[in-house]
Amino acid sequence: MKHELSVMMLTWEYPPRVIGGISPHVCYLSKSLAQQGVKVYVATCDFPGAPAHETTFDGVEVYRIDSYKTPAPDFATWVYLMNLNMQKEAAAIVHKLDNKIDVFHAHDWLVANAGIGLKHIFRKPLVVTMHSTEMGRRDGTHTTTEKMIHETEAWLNYEAWKVICCSDYMIQHVKWAFGLPNDKLVMVPNGVNTKNYDENNNDMKTFRNCYALPEEKIILYVGRLVYEKGIHILINAVPKILSKVNAKFIIVGSGYMKEQLLNIVRSMGLEHKVLFEGFVDEENLIKLQKVADVSVVPSLFEPFGIVALEAMAAKSPVVVSDIGGLTEIVEHDVTGVKAYPNNPESLAWGINKLLLDPIYAAKIRENAYHKVLETYDWTKIAQQTKGIYEEILGEYSKSFWA
Amino acid sequence: MRVILFSWEYPPRVVGKLAEYVSALSNSLVKNKIDTYVVTYHDYLTGMSAEASGVETFRVSNPVKTHIGVLTWVLTLNQEIERAAANIYYDAKKKIDLINVFDWHFVPAAIALKKGLRIPFVYSVESLEDHRSLSSDSAYNMAIKSIEWLGFYESNCISVKSEWMKEEIIRIYNVPKEKIVIIPTKPEKWMTSVLKTYNCAVGGTKIET
Repeated sequence: MKHELSVMMLTWEYPPRVIGGISPHVCYLSKSLAQQGVKVYVATCDFPGAPAHETTFDGVEVYRIDSYKTPAPDFATWVYLMNLNMQKEAAAIVHKLDNKIDVFHAHDWLVANAGIGLKHIFRKPLVVTMHSTEMGRRDGTHTTTEKMIHETEAWLNYEAWKVICCSDYMIQHVKWAFGLPNDKLVMVPNGVNTKNYDENNNDMKTFRNCYALPEEKIILYVGRLVYEKGIHILINAVPKILSKVNAKFIIVGSGYMKEQLLNIVRSMGLEHKVLFEGFVDEENLIKLQKVADVSVVPSLFEPFGIVALEAMAAKSPVVVSDIGGLTEIVEHDVTGVKAYPNNPESLAWGINKLLLDPIYAAKIRENAYHKVLETYDWTKIAQQTKGIYEEILGEYSKSFWA
Repeated sequence: MRVILFSWEYPPRVVGKLAEYVSALSNSLVKNKIDTYVVTYHDYLTGMSAEASGVETFRVSNPVKTHIGVLTWVLTLNQEIERAAANIYYDAKKKIDLINVFDWHFVPAAIALKKGLRIPFVYSVESLEDHRSLSSDSAYNMAIKSIEWLGFYESNCISVKSEWMKEEIIRIYNVPKEKIVIIPTKPEKWMTSVLKTYNCAVGGTKIET
């Protein structure tokens, strides 16, 4: 296939390395761009067992770069040291490709230094996707580390030719946080691959029995166990939900709040009702999302809310907090239930409403699935993204760098 | 020959002895008809300029003002050093022969430029982390040491000022001795020796040790 343009994605996570939402996002975006005739290179952190260089069947070339050899005193310093290596290796790769990279596309501040460095070394435009911000994650910047990360994000946004955000909410947030002009920001939604959820799993009953009794409803939470994701709101809502419905809570993911949450559950004497599953591989996660009677996204800050989309694709009805990107994804009473953010009563009310009214739940389930097919399709997203690259390259061709 | 010098101190910003040395070197290089650029840090405290004739000096500030330590400070400042050097490279129609980096601070920038633009570099060692932070092996010190190691590994040539420093680099970092040149401080031998090192690093004459 002849490629009219080529892009190098910079990301700190790419499958099989999965930490948050950036990994699947960059993976699907890269594959879908490849299907649109874009040559995609990915520079990312290494992962035990994953090859240092591979070309996937759709033509995406992935380079996994040593990220843990250099000792680092803390996470933020590790990020900058990792960028040193990523930049060095990526520069060598681009040189080997005869500088045939048209655009560098960086995902979040975690690859800021590498993106900015490569832009200036090769004088090619830098596109940035802001998946999240430090201000949003921490509800302000309070510590020196948080301020440093915030300033790094501001610097990355300054250096970017265009900044992509995946919701209107994030556009406004990023514009406010970094003082960007309107014409620098573009909204491209995040996507979900419904095919992943379409496969027929015959043994779903057996699978379900591993987690819950037949008479128990399954309430699923998927996400890191951190403050911004609002998991503590759901934990606080557990007794209120159980007073009306017999249910099992399955908590997927880990994070610094885990011990604290376990203690709360223990003190309520509900260990038998709330299961902390930790990290779950993709295959089992999809099955869990399919058997869940309700999926809950109780975030306090949510730039997009990909977990809600995944649940919708898996035909699991969603209850989300009415915040950030979730506000745009879910239409109340049509494609899901919205609860007041930071409010366990409201969250419990939403969950019980779905669990106690199967006809209502079925309607929501169907509507949500169709909404996903209509709006959050990766092919459309890749076409939009390619359009942005082309527009930038048009502007670039008139600049003195060209 | 066209050379860029990277130093985190350069007059009027004087922190230790390095500033004076790099200043004397840049002046002397210009006298020897070498196009000389200096890329250094602008701290907004020590004044804008104290320019030597014929040396083009670029002072960059750190794009990130808040830092948790010297390492994060250095690693973000490196991007600006790199940007300034890339601009010099493109303005000079891609004809930069060599980068000379002094101590570990801007080694990351020198490496990225070498990998991306194939500009060779000489790593000049004033001091080592092992001597500055005696017998410390915290993650912080190890990170600095690993940047020093990377500099030794990636550089085309290493220059030191004494036999002792050469021995120390070999002892601590296992660098092959052929890679290290001692540049004598005696005025009559100094410049000849610097130029010989530069020529060697860009693939010219062989170094005599």
